[in-house]
Amino acid sequence: MELLRSNAGERTVRLDPRTKMVMLFAVSTVLLLGGNGGAMFAVRTAMLLFPFGLLAISGRTRAAGLMLAAYLGTYALAAFAAPALEGMASTVIVATATVVSRFVPTLALAYFVFATTTVSEFMAAMARMRMPDWITIPLSVLFRFFPTLGQEARAINSAMRMRNITPTSRGFAYAENCLVPLMSCAVSIGEDLSAAALARGLGAPWPRTNIASIGFTPVDAAVIAASLAATAILALGLAFPGAIA
Amino acid sequence: MKITGNASASTSKTGGRLVGKDLINIGIFTAIYFVVVFAVACLGFIPILMAAICGIVPLVAGIPYMLFLTRARKFGMITILGLLIGIIMFITGMGYFSIATGLVFGLIADLVWKSGGYASASRAILSHGIFSCWIIGNFLPFLLTADTYLPTVRAQYGDAYVNELMTYLQPELYPILLVACFVAGIIGGFIGRAVLKKHFKRAGIA
Amino acid sequence: MKKETKTEAPVLFMDDVSFSYAGGRSGSGVEGISLSLGKGEVALLCGRSGCGKTTVTRLANGLAPHFYEGSETGTVRVCGLDVAHAQLWETARFVGSVFQNPKTQFYSVGVRGEIAFGCENLGFEPADIERRVDAAAKEFNLTPLIDESLFSLSGGQKQRVACSSAAATSPALIVLDEPSSNLDFEAIVQLRSAIARWKTEGVAVLVAEHRLHYLEGIVDHVLYLENGRLAHRWTAEEFARLDDAERIQLGLRARSIDDIFRNSGCCGTPAMSNAQKATLGKNVVRFENLTARFRKNGVLEKTLEIASLELPAGSITALVGACGAGKSTFAEAVCGLNRCDGTVTLDGTRLGKRARRRTCFMVMQDASHQLFSESVLDEVTLGMEGPDRQQRGLDILRDLDLDPFAEDHPLSLSGGQRQRVAIAQALATNRALVVYDEPTSGLDLFHMRQVAEGIRRVRERGITQVVITHDPEFALSCCTHVAVMDRGRITETYPLEESGISRLASFFWSKYHTGEEDPPIRKTPSSRQKE
Repeated sequence: MELLRSNAGERTVRLDPRTKMVMLFAVSTVLLLGGNGGAMFAVRTAMLLFPFGLLAISGRTRAAGLMLAAYLGTYALAAFAAPALEGMASTVIVATATVVSRFVPTLALAYFVFATTTVSEFMAAMARMRMPDWITIPLSVLFRFFPTLGQEARAINSAMRMRNITPTSRGFAYAENCLVPLMSCAVSIGEDLSAAALARGLGAPWPRTNIASIGFTPVDAAVIAASLAATAILALGLAFPGAIA
Repeated sequence: MKITGNASASTSKTGGRLVGKDLINIGIFTAIYFVVVFAVACLGFIPILMAAICGIVPLVAGIPYMLFLTRARKFGMITILGLLIGIIMFITGMGYFSIATGLVFGLIADLVWKSGGYASASRAILSHGIFSCWIIGNFLPFLLTADTYLPTVRAQYGDAYVNELMTYLQPELYPILLVACFVAGIIGGFIGRAVLKKHFKRAGIA
Repeated sequence: MKKETKTEAPVLFMDDVSFSYAGGRSGSGVEGISLSLGKGEVALLCGRSGCGKTTVTRLANGLAPHFYEGSETGTVRVCGLDVAHAQLWETARFVGSVFQNPKTQFYSVGVRGEIAFGCENLGFEPADIERRVDAAAKEFNLTPLIDESLFSLSGGQKQRVACSSAAATSPALIVLDEPSSNLDFEAIVQLRSAIARWKTEGVAVLVAEHRLHYLEGIVDHVLYLENGRLAHRWTAEEFARLDDAERIQLGLRARSIDDIFRNSGCCGTPAMSNAQKATLGKNVVRFENLTARFRKNGVLEKTLEIASLELPAGSITALVGACGAGKSTFAEAVCGLNRCDGTVTLDGTRLGKRARRRTCFMVMQDASHQLFSESVLDEVTLGMEGPDRQQRGLDILRDLDLDPFAEDHPLSLSGGQRQRVAIAQALATNRALVVYDEPTSGLDLFHMRQVAEGIRRVRERGITQVVITHDPEFALSCCTHVAVMDRGRITETYPLEESGISRLASFFWSKYHTGEEDPPIRKTPSSRQKE
């Protein structure tokens, strides 16, 4: 998984980070609150498919396909297994499938957001929204740190496999065995990262400038409009049940 | 040479203001904390265990939290950690209630840690107990939006399933979940301290 | 040193500076450091690990005392700015910094954002930053990579990004802390040309380094630290005139490439005695059709393609080649850690992937990834069997000079010691083949020799070893064979005797020249995946 790509040429959808935030909010709300009736079902489905579409358009067709398959599979399982099975087994399977199918679309969207936003763009967007340093800096470090943690975890995992350290052979100590090297590496990387950032003037009191080109385009406007519309329909449906059926 | 443990030092010169180094530390520990939570929470995809997340996540999460406290010697760091965890939970689709619970319990945990002068071991553990209560935010959607959520589910999966589900998600259950988070948080705090002593202190990074 | 620059104020001026770290953990303090560095001068700080040279670089860029806290006396001025009392962002206007580890020093994820990072923090005009970024990228041959993700670059490319980011703010002083530690030979030569260019542009450069050969001919002052004090100061000519015995006495690495190969005899004997040679050759480790693929941008690419390779049992093979040639992939494939095809045969037994995980072992570049226990002894006995394992564990530790640390936490040890703990793990579990991934990055002469000594002792047990290395000095000090790798294939193998040494020398010289040509139009091979 290549999180946080910065290859602009590869990105066919260029959305402003602020647009992505609105979109996250709308999709999350609609999927969480659901709503009933035909109109709402249409809205829900649209919002569901939105993330997969974005992923595919941005060139991650493989990931989009896999995640869509996971979603449809679990959804079908939940829908068809429910009547066929009975009792506890049914509950477990259906509930698992529901939970998975509920999270796959938001995870797809989260993947899209992370994969297509660079740290510079993110910082530029936060600056435009006049967010303070105490939220911008930790969040941007967070962005940059996930892939690093992934690399460290992979190395540690290799070492564990070489020494036959598995959950079965180690029990609860397994968690300790994973976490201790991971955390000590993370801490020392963090130390170096802070030193390098501060030595290059991060945290200066004057306003930070930015060369990331962000701004709203017609595509942004369309995405924001769709997000707001979906949220509005949902709100309407909740406020006046039966108004749109 | 690379590993340093100069946590206590930063208070002296900058007073209580959070500086770049503190903010970067928050970001790093949020990442570690989230990875731990996410790994453990994957167990929660099996819904019987979903409620058990409250009991399991804090046990492991105490390890990064306790290491974080050795660097959090200023007011606000735990609050921001809670807020960021909430934001990440929101981005990954757990709803936005975690942002509120992260902020609130983070703030209280921060106050507790501060009241111990950023050094008290018992306050550290208590602080983790309180901080862990943010997890309840992941379950609030079921409670607060049950009216809209359940009919949808009922329409899709039938009454039997919903009834079964409701036995796990009774409103009365929420205080119990909260207590479970807290208790597990306290135990996790002890585990975290033990690991801190066993490994990180001796390795020179705590 | 204060002689010729009297007319101008020095760029960097230190007068009787002492510094000790709070808590004493972040490094070793220094005492009574005085130096002054004018425009276009390059000063080299050298000395054994822990002599305080890194601290001097931190004093110059203000990280000590502002990031690494402690008590400081004396004066440090950069362009007249009192570094100890100014804020870090004020110092950042005058000082650019490059650090040891390319993968931990970047803040952004993209090349462009990273080069611009310093300028953005300093609040330069966006149009101005664009210009600076383009110029800096061009200067370091990064233009074709400008839109890449930093996570897809090789170590050498990352270090070039770090250099261009430091240069983009046009500082008066550039401070480098062991910048070559994680670089391959070609990248080191490019680092050399970067420093040479800064020198001609009038930038003052302060480098703390173990590997000295790439600085030959561009350094003006050599400062030798010992226990935090400036024990020797040489001009470039004086330094070049030191005889080798004295250099080795001081614990310094080779000063030039000629030094490396000329004196290969005195850094331990690479040429094997005939008796040792006789034991080689009977049993072999054989690799056949070892291939691995890697998905890049949706396309499967072969990163490893070894038709056939034989290593004599008990040999120590130096695996050399540029970054991204597939050396690490090879190591993983040998140890059964990645998805690969092909066979590994040991003493006539074919080993599957699972078996390889039990019989082969990798000592990782950052050995802290493979330390899990709470004490060094536990680390070694983890995975051992039998009632006498404590005793056997202690024996192994004694063999590797680790017994004084038996009760210490593995993560409290230094990098070189951690590596030896990893070697001890391999011995404890009776591995037949051990692969080392760049075991000497960032080690001084003493520690490099210690690693070499450890590897030689492992050999006495009849274990076959492969050492991935960019360090000819190290290869000569313990290896018996050389295998050259290029784009996933083994291009040549030879024993490291008289003729082998000259082949190795010409290999490194050719790398030296490719690195040095450095024409701006040269297409850098785009994003090579290392991980």
